[in-house]
Amino acid sequence: MQGIQFENVSKIYKQGNSTFTALNNVSITVEPGEFVAIIGPSGSGKSTFLSIAGALLQPSKGNVTINGINLSELKPKELSKLRLEQIGFILQTSNLIPYLTVLDQLLVVKKMQGSITKEDKLFAKELLEEVGLGEKLNKFPDQLSGGERQRTAIARAFMNDPNIILADEPTASLDSQRAFEIVELISKGVKSRNKAAIMVTHDERLLKYCDKVYQMLDGNLTLMEEPLAVR
Amino acid sequence: MFLALRELKHAKLRYFMIGMILVLISWLVFLLSGLGNGLSSLSAATFKNMDADFVVFEDGSRHSMLRSVISEVLVADLKNLEHVEDAAPMGTRTAVVMKENAASDDEKIDVSFLGINPGTFLEPKVIEGQGLSKGKDHEVIANVTLKDQGVQLGDTLEIEGTTETIKVVGFVENESFNHLPAIFMTLDLWRDIQFAAPGSDMGIKNPVNAIMLQGENIVPEDVDKSVEGIETATKKEAINGLPGYKEENGTIMMMLAFLMAISAVVITVFFYVITLQKSNQFGVMKAIGASNSFLGRAVVSQVFILAVISIGVGIALTYGTAAVLPEGMPFSLDPKLIVVYAIVLLVVSVLSSLFSVRKITKIDPLIAIGRVE
Repeated sequence: MQGIQFENVSKIYKQGNSTFTALNNVSITVEPGEFVAIIGPSGSGKSTFLSIAGALLQPSKGNVTINGINLSELKPKELSKLRLEQIGFILQTSNLIPYLTVLDQLLVVKKMQGSITKEDKLFAKELLEEVGLGEKLNKFPDQLSGGERQRTAIARAFMNDPNIILADEPTASLDSQRAFEIVELISKGVKSRNKAAIMVTHDERLLKYCDKVYQMLDGNLTLMEEPLAVR
Repeated sequence: MFLALRELKHAKLRYFMIGMILVLISWLVFLLSGLGNGLSSLSAATFKNMDADFVVFEDGSRHSMLRSVISEVLVADLKNLEHVEDAAPMGTRTAVVMKENAASDDEKIDVSFLGINPGTFLEPKVIEGQGLSKGKDHEVIANVTLKDQGVQLGDTLEIEGTTETIKVVGFVENESFNHLPAIFMTLDLWRDIQFAAPGSDMGIKNPVNAIMLQGENIVPEDVDKSVEGIETATKKEAINGLPGYKEENGTIMMMLAFLMAISAVVITVFFYVITLQKSNQFGVMKAIGASNSFLGRAVVSQVFILAVISIGVGIALTYGTAAVLPEGMPFSLDPKLIVVYAIVLLVVSVLSSLFSVRKITKIDPLIAIGRVE
């Protein structure tokens, strides 16, 4: 089964004698080509959800399946490999590597998998063209604007041709005009390349680009029926 | 290498500075090794040049020429022993010589006298003039550095404290002993000078300081047993028995060891701090899927590249320094030693970087999520 599935996933943290439930029995399925948003106040469990979806954190209960692979059966090394091959991350601030050019930011992903081929280079350039950075291949992150950095990060997330895209507040540090452009780009990429995508955000203006919107409250995930998207 | 090279290129100043430290340390290491080498050859070149394997001293002399007096008569006995291929006696003393009719006392020259039998394996090859010959006791061969003091072939030298004079008939190269240029003479002349005072030979017939033995398979204990009143040492032990030799070398070795330790600490700390600074970067890369070995290799190869370049520059600077050092400095670079120290420095550097690699393996990729820069 393609995409990503959460089956009754819980994450419980122990703090001394008390326990804290960050995720409570969460189930969700995101299929290829689907762009899902998760909204909720801070502390509601969004980050925990994303960390588990991104194979960075193991759930206390339940199963997570990415592209048919059950994550709970994997060792740390295999998880790292799975992230490299199946998951594209777009992080809060672009988190680019300061000493790599825009083009190298993408190629390093391929380098992590082994070696860089000619096709990889062409593919990286194509991705960067799509996000409108065709002219800035050899710029370093500190020579780019915030929006351009985030575009680079989007292109990087697609570089390994992953099955799922995870975006963690991708517009946090941008003004609204740029924020719309960024989310539109993600949406376009997800549709044209048929990826399952989850975006965590607290910015409700962005939800119109998403197919489904879930709300996270105190660890509980609920689907919002025809909610704010119309706005 | 992908990350390592790009980062080195990008943060030039940062890595240039740590590179400079490495250059200075390696420069100092190589200079010290050259100095140590120079000093030890000044102190024991003659001994080292001798084609001998073992040295026979007087029993109780603790491998020191100065404390040892034995009879030349033993040479015949020693030659008959098993594994002994050849044996030759020698005597040493320090002396002060002056050119005949020198105008002032300023022209006195400190030297080491080495008494040997002409034609034995102890006699070095002359580079100029002729060698020693039996019967011509007042003809000597001297280390070529005496030329700097104005001594020419055929010059006659007075020996302080005696009425003897010697004539320089040949020059040899790289022969110094106890930090002084060597003058080789016949044992007969040496004895006349060394034991000039009646009774100073303690009744030993034809006294010498030591007898050098050739023969790789000699068992020192067997030699000691077969002849009474002697002790046998390897050439190395005998060299260590030279006054000041061990101490000099020990000092230099200690400095070298400290330098290695310092470079290890400097590299460890520098790269550890840089790694801490870059924790977030490493976290992000791990979240993307970089393996520990990918990131570890980046750091190790970075240190490797930096160390190779710095050590290379250090070697170049050392040879540059050697070229401008004054003649009289006891400084001699041994390419073999340079290679050894270069490799040791490189290994130390790379090992130091493993600390940072350990740190990297412990970074949790989770720090990449939910974080604002």
